[in-house]
Amino acid sequence: MIMIRAVVRPDKKEVVLDELSVAGFHAATVIDVVGRGKQKGIKFGDVVYDEIPKSLIMLVVNDEDKEDVLTVILHYAKTGGEGAFGDGKIFISPMDEVYTVSSGTAGL
Amino acid sequence: MKEIIAVVRMNKVSATKKALVQVGATGFTASKVMGRGRLVEDKAIIAERRATLLMLAQKNDATTDKLVTEFLDGTRLFPRRLFNVMAHDEDVPKIVAAIIDANKTENKVGDGKIFVLPMLDAVRVRTKESGDAAI
Repeated sequence: MIMIRAVVRPDKKEVVLDELSVAGFHAATVIDVVGRGKQKGIKFGDVVYDEIPKSLIMLVVNDEDKEDVLTVILHYAKTGGEGAFGDGKIFISPMDEVYTVSSGTAGL
Repeated sequence: MKEIIAVVRMNKVSATKKALVQVGATGFTASKVMGRGRLVEDKAIIAERRATLLMLAQKNDATTDKLVTEFLDGTRLFPRRLFNVMAHDEDVPKIVAAIIDANKTENKVGDGKIFVLPMLDAVRVRTKESGDAAI
């Protein structure tokens, strides 16, 4: 199993979650975060905004579903056809164990 | 070292904190998150919950019905608390057991998930200790 953490624009959160659900990945945790990227934030004149609000979508899936999830997020989190700075990043980390509290057993 | 990420009900936060202290994991980070789980396939659970919600609403018009349906069809994100606990490898099973123990309810669904991830290193800022000593 792997954990996928995707930082996306807050206005893309809904559509990404909807499309993930359609693709069969319904379970997710969403956190409102602030951050900056490679462009060092946004600069308007002398003012630099480097705490830009984003949504962090966190989901855990089986290894073989990785590509499917990535395709959905990469496609729907993109702005316009070409994408734009600030569309976000996706991080993937290994996962040792998962437990479901209601059943008390290991597994998704 | 492992990172334990637990998503728990908002009203189980203090029970979880108490349970963590009892197993010796006193340090943690918690945040408010929104989340949803696997779709509930058991029709009986949904029907039961629907009856309870309609009873609580005390009226049965179209608006209430729509609200209750939206509430139960699984698309809604519910508020939960997310705990990040760093632990030594050997402490992981008892911490997981303690969290499950504190959070299990009779509701069958929505009790949360616990994730265990590997952690490469940790550093205590005050003393610059790293590795297992930092936890």
